[in-house]
Amino acid sequence: MADDKIITPQKFIEELRRFQKGSVTRRHFLGVTGLGVATAVLGGAMPGLKPRKAYAALSGTVNLTTWPNYHNQENLDAFTKKTGVTINMNVFGSNEEMLAKLQAGSTGWDVFVPTNYTISTYKGLDLIEPLDLKLLPNYDVASQDQRFTSEGTIDGTVYAVPKNWGTTGFVINTKNVTQNPTSWKEFWDLTKGPLSGRVMVHDYQLTTIGNALKYFGYSFNSNDEKQLAEAEKLMLEAKPHLFAINSDYQPSMRNGDAWVSVAWTGDATQLHRDLPEIQYVLGKEGGEIWTDYFAIPKGAANKDAAYALIDWLLTPEINAKEVQAHGYPSTDARTNKLVSKEMLENPILYPAKDLLTNLEFGAAATLTNPLRAEIMARFKSA
Amino acid sequence: MSMRLYAVFIYIFLYAPIALIAFFSFNAGRYAMDWQGFSLDWYGKAFTNPIITKALVTSLIIAGCTSVIATTVGTLCALGLERMRGSLRQLFDALIYIAIMVPGVVIGISTLIAFVTVFDAVNPALEAIGMARLQMGLWTVIAAHVLFNLAVVVLIIRARLAGMDRSLVEASEDLYATPFATFRQVVLPALMPSILAGLLLSFTFSFEDFIIAFFVAGPNTTLPIYVFSSIRRGVTPEINAIGTTVLLTSLALLVLAQFLLRPSAKAR
Amino acid sequence: MPQLAPISRSKTVTALLVAPAGLFFFFLLVLPLIVVVIYSFGARADAGGYAPAFTLDNYANLPARGQAFFNTLTLAPLGTLLTALFAYPLAYFLAVKASPKSRTLLLVLVIVPFWTSQLLRYYAWIMILGSKGIPSWLAYLGISDLRIINTPWAVLIGAVYGFLPLMVLPIYVSLEKLDKRLLEASADLGANSWRSFLQVTLPLSLPGVATGSMLVFILLMGEYILPQLLGGGKVFFIGNALVDLFLQSRNWPFGAAVSTALVAIMFVTIVIYMRFVLSRGDVRRAALV
Repeated sequence: MADDKIITPQKFIEELRRFQKGSVTRRHFLGVTGLGVATAVLGGAMPGLKPRKAYAALSGTVNLTTWPNYHNQENLDAFTKKTGVTINMNVFGSNEEMLAKLQAGSTGWDVFVPTNYTISTYKGLDLIEPLDLKLLPNYDVASQDQRFTSEGTIDGTVYAVPKNWGTTGFVINTKNVTQNPTSWKEFWDLTKGPLSGRVMVHDYQLTTIGNALKYFGYSFNSNDEKQLAEAEKLMLEAKPHLFAINSDYQPSMRNGDAWVSVAWTGDATQLHRDLPEIQYVLGKEGGEIWTDYFAIPKGAANKDAAYALIDWLLTPEINAKEVQAHGYPSTDARTNKLVSKEMLENPILYPAKDLLTNLEFGAAATLTNPLRAEIMARFKSA
Repeated sequence: MSMRLYAVFIYIFLYAPIALIAFFSFNAGRYAMDWQGFSLDWYGKAFTNPIITKALVTSLIIAGCTSVIATTVGTLCALGLERMRGSLRQLFDALIYIAIMVPGVVIGISTLIAFVTVFDAVNPALEAIGMARLQMGLWTVIAAHVLFNLAVVVLIIRARLAGMDRSLVEASEDLYATPFATFRQVVLPALMPSILAGLLLSFTFSFEDFIIAFFVAGPNTTLPIYVFSSIRRGVTPEINAIGTTVLLTSLALLVLAQFLLRPSAKAR
Repeated sequence: MPQLAPISRSKTVTALLVAPAGLFFFFLLVLPLIVVVIYSFGARADAGGYAPAFTLDNYANLPARGQAFFNTLTLAPLGTLLTALFAYPLAYFLAVKASPKSRTLLLVLVIVPFWTSQLLRYYAWIMILGSKGIPSWLAYLGISDLRIINTPWAVLIGAVYGFLPLMVLPIYVSLEKLDKRLLEASADLGANSWRSFLQVTLPLSLPGVATGSMLVFILLMGEYILPQLLGGGKVFFIGNALVDLFLQSRNWPFGAAVSTALVAIMFVTIVIYMRFVLSRGDVRRAALV
C-alpha cells in the first residue's frame, strides 16, 4: 500500500488522466494516489498560529456563497465581532446552480465554495481569481492531505484552497427501513419496490445520474451515451416512486416524510446526531468522493474581507469547531488533531477502507456534459 | 344555514395554516413542527439576525420605490391614454395586457438576459473611460417590478376615469379654471382612492415577489428569497416569527388605512 | 365615452404623459422579449449559456418538455375551476346572505391571508400535508399511508388556497351589483330558489367569474413556487422547467424557446377565451375593468 507516500498534485493529475484513458486500472489508480487510505491523518508538526495583520482595516459586508448546514454560526459571529465585517451567507443546492449564477454575471459574491470538479471550468471561463497565499497565513500546504488539494491548483497557480472533503452515499431511517441496503443496486430497487414514495434523490445531475450509473456498475463519471441511456431509463422508471427530487433532504428526513435519501457526509452526521435511527450507507459499488474548496470569484468587491474570512475559517482552532458542528471531515492535519476522538472514529466521516476504494472524484467533463444536463432536466420534467 | 356553515368552513381553511405559522413561532424548539414549549426567543433572534433585518430593509426599499414609481408613471399614462385615439393607443393597450399576461418567470428570465446582454456590451466601454461597471442590483429589481405593476396601475386608474362624473370637469372649465387647476382640484381628488389602491397593490406585489428578484437581484437578498431558501433548508421558527410579524404589521396598516380612508369616503 | 379632452388638447402634454410608461414598456418588455426570441434560435455554449447561431433545434426539442407543458395545461385550468367552485358559494354568501354589518369585516378577512407571505402559506401546507400533519391524524381513523404532499393533489390544494381571495373578490363585486328586486320578482313569479339562481343570479354574476378565472389562470400558468414547494420537484410546471434550464442545465437558448412557447400558448388561450367567454359586451367590459 501507499500509505506512507505523499503524491504530488501533478502526479495525481497524471495518474487521473491515465486512469481516465483506461491505461491503468482503478485499483492501481487508487493505490498510487492514496485514495484507498481510510483516515489518512497526515503527520507533521503543528505550527503556531500565524497572526493576521490588519483586521482593523476591514469593513463592510462579505458575501459568502456556500452549501446548506456547512458552517458553525459561532465562528461566523466571532469573525464579525473581531473584524466588524458582516457575513451575508447565501446557500445553494448544486454546483450547476453556482456556475449558472456566475456565468450570468454580477453575483456580488466575495467567497464561494466550489467542489473539486468545477474549478478548472471556472478557470477556463475566467470566473475565478488566483489566490495570493501570502494573504492566507493560516493555510498550510504542508499539513494538507495532498489528494484533496490537487484540483485547486491549475498550471502551478493556486485558485482554491480545500475546505472539507466527504462522500456521497445515502441515509436510511432504520425505524422504517428494515431491508438493510448496502448498495446502489438495492437503493434503486427498493425505491421502485417496497419503499415507493419514501426515497429522495438530489436535484442535480452529477450524483443522481452518477448513482444511477452505479446501479449497472458503470463509472460515476461515465459520459458514454449508451450507459447514460440505461441510467436515464432507470431514473425514469424510479421517478413515480420517488418522494421528491430535492437536495435539501434534512427537513423531510427529520419529519419522517422521507425514509431514504441520497446524502452527503455532514448531513448524515447531523441527522444521525439528532436521530440515531438514521444511518449512513456508502453503496458498495462506489460513488462519489469529493473536496470542497474556498475560492474568490473574479471581480469580488470586498477581496480583503474575503481573504480574511477564508483565513479565519482555515485556522485550525476555528476549523475544528466547524468540523464539530457540520460533521464533514477536514483535509487539514492540524485541524484533525483538535477534533474530538469521537468524530475521528465516526464511520460516517471516515468510512471503512474497502468502501472508500471504490469511490471516484467527479470529473470536470462530467459537470459540463450537455447530454447529462439534458437527461437530468428530462428526468425532472418527466 | 348551510351557506353559513360553508362560509365557516372556508374561513377555517383560510386561517388554519396561518394560525399554524403563528403558533409555531412561539416554539422553544429548533425545528418548526416539533413543539418544545412556549418561548419568545425566535422573535428576538429574528430581529437581531443582521441578514434577516437587511433582507427586510432591502424588500422595503424595493417595494417602496416600485410602488411610488409604478403609481406615478401608471397614473400619468392612464391620463395620457384617455386623450389618445388611434393605432398608438391600441399599441399601448396591447402592451399593457401583454405586461400583465406574461408570467413573472418569463419577465425574470427575459429581463435577466436583456440586462446581461446590455452589460456585456456597455461595460468594456465604461471601464475604458474609467466609470463604474453596470451591475445587477436593487435598481434592476425595481425596474422589472415597475414594469409589471405599472400595467396594473393603469388598469385601476382607467377604471376610475371611466366611471368619473364628467360634469364636474365641465363645470370647472365653465368657471374658467386653468387645465392644471381643474386637474388638481377636480380630477386628482376623484382619482385619489384609486391612486392609493395602486400604491398599496404595487407595494404588496413587489414586496411579495420571489421569482423576478430571484433572477435579477444580483447579490441582494430580498425577504422572499431568504424565506424561500430557509424553507428549502428546513425552517427554524425564526421564519415563523418574521411571517407573523409581517402579517400583524400589514393587518395594522390595513386597519389604519380603513380608518384614514373613512373621512374621505364621507366627503365623497 | 365622453372625452376628458377640454383640459388641454396639446399633443405635447399627451406625449409627455405616456412617455415614461412607453420607455418602461419598450426597454423592459418589448426589448427583452425580442432578445428572448433571438436567443431561442441560438445554440448552447460549450459550458452552458448562449452561443450565436441560427437553428430551429430548440423548437424541435420542445417535446422533451412535453410533460411539463401537459402538467401546466391540465393543472392550471383544473386549479382555476376548483378555485371558482370553492369561491362562488362564499362570494354569494357575502353578497346576498351576510348581514350588511358583518359584510365588510368578512370581506377584509378574505383578503388578509393574501397579505401574508405566499411562501409561508405554502410552507404551512407542507407541514399540514406532510406525514406529521393530516396523514397522521387520519391514521387514528384507520386510514393509513395516505400521501398527499408532493403529488398533483397537493399542488391543487395549494392553488385553491393561494388564489381563493383573488376569485372571491370579482365574483362578490358582480353579485353585489345584482338588483335584489330581480330575485324577488323571480320568486313572485313562482320560480323556486334554484331556478331563480340558475336563471337570474348565475348569468348575471358570470362577468365576475370570468374576471377571477382569467386572473387565477394567468397566475397559475406561470407558477414556479407552488409546484416546487408542494410538488417536491416532481410535479413540474413550465415555470419549473424554465428555472431549471436557466439555473441548472444552463441551456439558455432552449429556455428561450420554452419561454416563447409558453407566452405564445398563453396569448392564444387568452385571445380565444376573450373571444368566446367574454364575447358579450357587458361581460367583456366588467372583466377587463
